[in-house]
Amino acid sequence: MLSRELLKEALRRALATGADYAEVFAEHTRSKWIELVSEKVDAIGDNVISGVGIRIFKGTRCVSGSASSLEPSAVLQCASRVAEALADSAQVEDLVLRERIFGDVHPVKIVPGDVANSEKIDYMREACLAAREQSGEIVQTNGRIQEVDHKILIATSEGLLTQDRQIRTRLFVEAVASADGENQTGMIAPGARKGIELFDDFDPRELGRKAAAQAVTMLHAGYVSAGVMPVAIENGFGGVIFHEACGHSLEASAVALGQSQFVGKLGQQIANPKVTAIDDGTIPNGWGSVNIDDEGTPSQKNVLIENGILKSYMVDKLNGRRLGMASTGSSRRQSYQYEPTSRMTNTYIAAGEDRDEDIISSIEYGLYAKEMGGGSVNPVTGEFNFAVREGYLIRNGKICEPVRGASLVGKGSEIIQKIDMVGKNVARGQGMCGASSGSIPTDVGQPLIRVSSITVGGR
Amino acid sequence: MTYQEFKESVIREAKARKIAEYEIYYTESESTTVEIFQEEVKGYSTESSLGVCFRCVVNERAGYASTEDLSEEEAVSIVDRALANAGSIESETKALLHKKGDHYEKVSETQKEEVSGAELVETALGVQRKLYQADSRVTDGTQTYLAQGREKYALYNSNGLDLEDRAAYTQCVAVSVVKDGEEMNNGMADKMGAMKEIDIDALVAEAVEDAVSAIGAEGVASGKYPVVFSGKAMASLLMTFASVFSAEEVQKGLSLLKDKEGEKIAADCVTIVDDPRYPGSAVKRSFDGEGVAAYAKNVVEDGTLNTLLYNLATAEKAGVKSTGNASKPSYASVVGISPFTFYIKPGEVSREELFRKAGSGIYVTSLQGLHAGANPVTGDFSLAASGFLVEDGCKAKPVKGFTVADNFYALLKKVVSVGSDLELVHGRVGAPSVLVEEITVGGK
Repeated sequence: MLSRELLKEALRRALATGADYAEVFAEHTRSKWIELVSEKVDAIGDNVISGVGIRIFKGTRCVSGSASSLEPSAVLQCASRVAEALADSAQVEDLVLRERIFGDVHPVKIVPGDVANSEKIDYMREACLAAREQSGEIVQTNGRIQEVDHKILIATSEGLLTQDRQIRTRLFVEAVASADGENQTGMIAPGARKGIELFDDFDPRELGRKAAAQAVTMLHAGYVSAGVMPVAIENGFGGVIFHEACGHSLEASAVALGQSQFVGKLGQQIANPKVTAIDDGTIPNGWGSVNIDDEGTPSQKNVLIENGILKSYMVDKLNGRRLGMASTGSSRRQSYQYEPTSRMTNTYIAAGEDRDEDIISSIEYGLYAKEMGGGSVNPVTGEFNFAVREGYLIRNGKICEPVRGASLVGKGSEIIQKIDMVGKNVARGQGMCGASSGSIPTDVGQPLIRVSSITVGGR
Repeated sequence: MTYQEFKESVIREAKARKIAEYEIYYTESESTTVEIFQEEVKGYSTESSLGVCFRCVVNERAGYASTEDLSEEEAVSIVDRALANAGSIESETKALLHKKGDHYEKVSETQKEEVSGAELVETALGVQRKLYQADSRVTDGTQTYLAQGREKYALYNSNGLDLEDRAAYTQCVAVSVVKDGEEMNNGMADKMGAMKEIDIDALVAEAVEDAVSAIGAEGVASGKYPVVFSGKAMASLLMTFASVFSAEEVQKGLSLLKDKEGEKIAADCVTIVDDPRYPGSAVKRSFDGEGVAAYAKNVVEDGTLNTLLYNLATAEKAGVKSTGNASKPSYASVVGISPFTFYIKPGEVSREELFRKAGSGIYVTSLQGLHAGANPVTGDFSLAASGFLVEDGCKAKPVKGFTVADNFYALLKKVVSVGSDLELVHGRVGAPSVLVEEITVGGK
């Protein structure tokens, strides 16, 4: 992408005013999405992103700059502009860049860019048609296939030169059911760090049927009444509860600035002893997986909480300096235009020992959250809110009628104490996580869990 | 190569492929952002970005491709990619390019402020110091962001349109964190405009008050209450549901405002305005994402839906004229529809009068989880909220950790009274405080 000589010169310029660390991040990304509305191709986006982001550190002070160009003059200009923000002068010694190849544990069989639109359209259309045919109440379907071929290069004043190519594909199928002027939606959206071979993992008709079934179920659901109750949260995307309520507060970006409920709690019991939580960027072909993070550090499996005890934060280089901690390979950025910071990869609650049937039968009156929607959290207070996409009431230990309009509201540090039953079957679900360094692919996950009491919003 | 050279190459490639109808959309921006943590500069960043989108219309179907790589090779590639994509489109919506002939309002040149990086840093440090001085409970975690930027939008098409808008802005965001015993709260305030017009003392007071006033907040009992939404809270709700006014969402069946033009959809006291050159907004535009002249309009007037928001394609389908609301959030975006500065027109009643009218109820100052807990297709929302109790017609103690749930369409009709205190969020969406009858609150 950029020559070794150019990278060395850019780093030299960036260091010229006294920085003690400099980093060049270059990117060339092709992305494409194809959207079907009611089984017909409605729009296609087809984009190339190309540019450079340069950072320098002096102690814990960071200066950064970016430019939408990989032309040598633009890269060098960006480096000089960044250096100008520091006033000192410095003698920069000759840099030696040594290339490191960390390997790729995420094989891609079919590069999306090599496949014609028509093949992708046929697959998505089949999924949408299956949704349509599922029920006469389905009035619309939306399908979307999204692919990214993200090439990155990182060179630092520590002498590191490394590259990665991240290919990801995701399929969205949404069904809208309508009756008596009311609409409800159902959605399924699997993705992986894979190419078009992702099609082999899912029968398109099955995707369509699932989305439609969810929409129809929710269309005939009544509203849940608000209150405090025990909730059983299903595996897979249910893990968004941990992601939102705790994961963000374990990012060094929040911890280093004192904006986290878990500051100073390493080694302490912060969760129910049943809870072990992991952030693992090394899962082969995982949606949130990376070979190297966006500072060039190899990704690793980080145990965050073990049997309720806080073991580790997720740390990037800059916040690592503030905390006196080494990077955990957790630095991520959406693109060269964002400054990287500590983020999650594939985050999940590990398997426990409770049987699913025991979890359900333990609840006299409560909510079974089969599919969660998205959510958000205030990292300072840990207060969160997330939507239940598909929920059912539990009465006398049995899953009963579906309910709509439910949301779960609580505080992260309290909820993880209340996870008092943890099932055996971990599944992961895909999401896009938004924060200061942009929108990045992350997996959430867990087995079926029970939260002994939580505020359920409804009407 | 420069944009001008790239544009000429693209035009040449389009002609070589005998593409009769096409458009080149270009944006560039430059910005500097300063971030203060404790009493130090935590971050300082400069950004220069640009991008080009090529859109061709072939057999009435639009194909898109975009790039940031202004090279001869990419000029060829985006034309080829857009052409191939146009060939895959099956939508029956007729894609259109705008023709010459509109009158474009001259956008008053935003005061070009050449504030140096050093001045930006000094100003931001000053805001941060004032945050700490404002209240002894203000603690670390408190941050100030100050950004200054310039943007340029250009649109060229094969019908001979060749337009350009320029804008400059300064934005200051103050985030306060306060600690009272073991309890921590945060607050935020954000202002946009020319640097010298930003009232820093007011910004600081608002950010700190936002955090301090929530100290000691408790839960509320579940039930149905009259609710006063603050301007900020109401604006965030309006922003979340703004898409229901889009003709595209309506035509796709994703908004319940189908066939509602000319009908009452809200209480008589509700007027909703869309203005591309609202005086309080930093970015003022003369043309929309398709080159149609942008103008101010009442979307809802005294409760009646005057018009949906249209771009060329949806207007053609409905047999009306575009309202100049074609949007391209980024240069690469497919043409969509969105309002410019979208706000509920303030009434004549003070906020205190709204509290008096509510008698006993809840004053909601903040709503969270809007991207997840609100469904624009159905209008349903169930959102985490915080605010204050209203007792005996006055603002009383702080409350948090509850949910408010209702339906946006129903809520518009349940507005009892509209306050006079318009608040604008990010210069994009605004509302005064609003009293709404009976909303379901989930709490203890």
